[in-house]
Amino acid sequence: MKRGSVVWSWFWMILGIIYFFLPLVATFIFSLKAKLGVLSFLAYQQLFNDPDFIKGFSYSVMWGILTIIVGILIFFPTAYWVRMRLPQVRTAVEFVTMLPFVVPAIVFVFGLVRTFSHPPFLIVDSPALLVLAYVVLTMPYMYRSIDTGLRSIDVRTLTEAAQSLGAGWGTILFRVILPNIRVSIISGGFLGFAIVMGEYILAQYLAKPAFAPFLAYLIQQKAYEPAAATIVSIALTWACMGIIQLVGRGGSQPQIAGGH
Amino acid sequence: MTASNVVKRDAPSARPAPYKFSWAWLGVMPFFLFAFMFLIYPSSTIALGSFQDTNTQAFTLQNFAHLLQNPNLIAAYWISIKISLITSLGGGIFGFLLAYAAIRGGLPPFMRSSLMTFCGVASNFAGVPLAFAFIALLSPSGVLTGWLKAMGYNPYFHGFQLYTFWGLSIVYMYFQFPLMVLVIAPAIDGLRREWLEAAENLGASSFQYWRYIALPILLPSILGTMILLFGNSFGAFATAQALTGGQINLVTIMVGAQLRGDVLGDAGLGYALALGMVVIMAIAITGYTVLQRQSERWLR
Amino acid sequence: MTHLELSHISKQFGQTAVVQDFNLDVKTGEFVSFLGPSGCGKTTTLRMIAGFETPTTGKVMLGDADITDMAPNQRDVGMVFQAYALFPNMTVAQNIGFGMKIHKEPESAIKERVIEMLALIHLEQKGNSYPAQLSGGQQQRVALARALANRPKVLLLDEPLSALDAKIRVSLRAEIRAIQRKLGITAIYVTHDQEEALSISDRIVVMFDGRIEQVGTPFEIYNFPQTAFVASFVGTLNTTDAEVIDPVKKLIKIDGVQLETAEELQGRKKGDKIKIAIRPERLNFVSVEKKANILDCTVENITFLGSVVRIQVKIGSNRFNMDTFNNPFLELPKIGAKEQVSCSREAVIILNS
Repeated sequence: MKRGSVVWSWFWMILGIIYFFLPLVATFIFSLKAKLGVLSFLAYQQLFNDPDFIKGFSYSVMWGILTIIVGILIFFPTAYWVRMRLPQVRTAVEFVTMLPFVVPAIVFVFGLVRTFSHPPFLIVDSPALLVLAYVVLTMPYMYRSIDTGLRSIDVRTLTEAAQSLGAGWGTILFRVILPNIRVSIISGGFLGFAIVMGEYILAQYLAKPAFAPFLAYLIQQKAYEPAAATIVSIALTWACMGIIQLVGRGGSQPQIAGGH
Repeated sequence: MTASNVVKRDAPSARPAPYKFSWAWLGVMPFFLFAFMFLIYPSSTIALGSFQDTNTQAFTLQNFAHLLQNPNLIAAYWISIKISLITSLGGGIFGFLLAYAAIRGGLPPFMRSSLMTFCGVASNFAGVPLAFAFIALLSPSGVLTGWLKAMGYNPYFHGFQLYTFWGLSIVYMYFQFPLMVLVIAPAIDGLRREWLEAAENLGASSFQYWRYIALPILLPSILGTMILLFGNSFGAFATAQALTGGQINLVTIMVGAQLRGDVLGDAGLGYALALGMVVIMAIAITGYTVLQRQSERWLR
Repeated sequence: MTHLELSHISKQFGQTAVVQDFNLDVKTGEFVSFLGPSGCGKTTTLRMIAGFETPTTGKVMLGDADITDMAPNQRDVGMVFQAYALFPNMTVAQNIGFGMKIHKEPESAIKERVIEMLALIHLEQKGNSYPAQLSGGQQQRVALARALANRPKVLLLDEPLSALDAKIRVSLRAEIRAIQRKLGITAIYVTHDQEEALSISDRIVVMFDGRIEQVGTPFEIYNFPQTAFVASFVGTLNTTDAEVIDPVKKLIKIDGVQLETAEELQGRKKGDKIKIAIRPERLNFVSVEKKANILDCTVENITFLGSVVRIQVKIGSNRFNMDTFNNPFLELPKIGAKEQVSCSREAVIILNS
């Protein structure tokens, strides 16, 4: 490598690092300024004692976990079936998994409210709708993850081996295949979880308690607590990404046109 | 064992063909049912609503006419397009330079994996937390503003405003360039080292290598990803909402306002607005997919 | 006349010495192969000639010019890569003409040269095709044409045939040699395939562990290997330990059996332990021909290899391979039979290490 070009590489890299860290550093410093004149963790104390924070955060965690579970229950058997028995349907399925990119969240929730505010589907107030909407939102990532995992193992041989030993479909799917694509499930699951934790639009417009709407409200009300909450949110996202890197192939899946 | 036996074993659906077929289709029904009920149908009601008169439900194209006649809404589309163009170009170029620096720029190998992790975090960080982080950074009482003021330079005296178009652009860039890095990285990986060596061997300078070989090969990928970035920015809502309180005139903000029931008052118009968005997003995603396929031909 | 000279070339990667004290003079128009197993330093040395690696010590001279530290795009060498490395966004014609385009040659000259090159590699109809539309062998021929179009002083080939099917390898290597002869261009060819090296080179440089083991013509390398490595790497070989009986009369013994060799045993005294080698095709049954050395053996195994029949015999405690041409009318001995084999004095090779 020529000497000159390495200098340029460092230049862009350092620029990127500065741009990336500056807002984070600023938020962190801001979060320490709650007590006048001295740096303290007062804002964090206030935050963790705030019942609305606890409510918003724990609801989001619950939405996240439910989304992952429902997502796996729908996408995993589907991906398996497409791979094993119906390869001709694969293009249609992949097209469907790309659709959430075409419908931005704000339009999506618009359609959800319109559809489910009238009988016979009057479920607009039900938490189930939020979870199902989240499953749709995270579909491109979760389905893609599971599908990639299935592609890397020999699904047919594993299935036939299990069948020859007398296993039924439930056993095959959840005790033979699933453990073998653990890495993909975890990657997709944590990505989905991170997305749900930071999601604002669906929670807000379906009027459900969640972390991001709480944060938006907090910004209007308080000065320093939002900073603490933002740091918590960043730390959580980082943890999720870190786990994905640790567990898996490390190929980070970017979030596109989703809940922001 | 004859050849026909082997064939039979490998194609289970070939035996009692019609039977196997109908049962197998059942297996993907839950998925399609789910997608239809909770994605396709709700989205199509938007499309349908845009062609319906708000009061009579009759078929009409009036909503679109009203859309095109409303200067506010046209401005909203224009501003959305403008911010998407700027941040997709800026984020795209910066992201590409960053990705190339980390992957082929002669930096230590750990820089690449660190960059990928940062970008995974940053691209997911968008929305309300990101808006606040920039408020903490560049608002009149922000940390960076404070530092700059201490050094004698007050950006606000020089016309800088965070809660405006340009402030929002800077914020948008924060999730645009990581997205570029993550999506373009495999393409840069696909740039084989031998092409550079062959070019050098034939006498090409660094510039000539880029001009005749590297850039032409990477162009479909770069262009495709920038189109993806465009769509990403066009559909963004939460960041703008949290940063400007809904004050900035973007299409997504308008749709959000319509959802809350104010501003437009005319439901059909709101649906037309939303459909316009979906059309633009569809064009973007299609453009991206087509260009990705093209680039994969050379960069496998 | 020396065209390309490498003197005291060495290359260190951190603590590891990948190439050590490499010296070679190549004449104009000569076809030299670097032959050796993976990791022996042959590709690294080639890349130092091309300029993709810089030698830690030593000099590379091309004619009168010292090119040791010259940038790779300033040297007048053409390189053919193992992975073809054709530019996928350009047609075959554009690939071939790329070097001339960089050197700002006029369009008409480039066109003419491209036609000339396409004829040379027998792909006249493929000028407007893209690399993805060609087979592996065709792509490699285009890569060759691209390197030659620029009229380089030296042609470097880095295991160009490794990625191709066996049949194509054989025909393409002959084509490469024919083109090289026709153009009279100096060529350095890196390979790990000893049959390839033997069949097309003027001289072979056998390398092992970063060092040159032996330099010589294919005939010399095969028949007069100087080290145990060269003897075992090039062709099959029977090796065993032996003891000197009489240095003047050139008598040695293996396992109690006395053999006479034609090689010099000067400097050795009675009782010295040495290593000897005998090529399998130099052994035959005494019923076929009686030569100077005669040894008792037991037939252990017979393998039919097509044109050659390989007979494994046990002589004392040594197992030797004996190769003979397939002859459908010749009766072969049974397994377990006791026979006598013989070889000439000249067939017994003394190994230096």
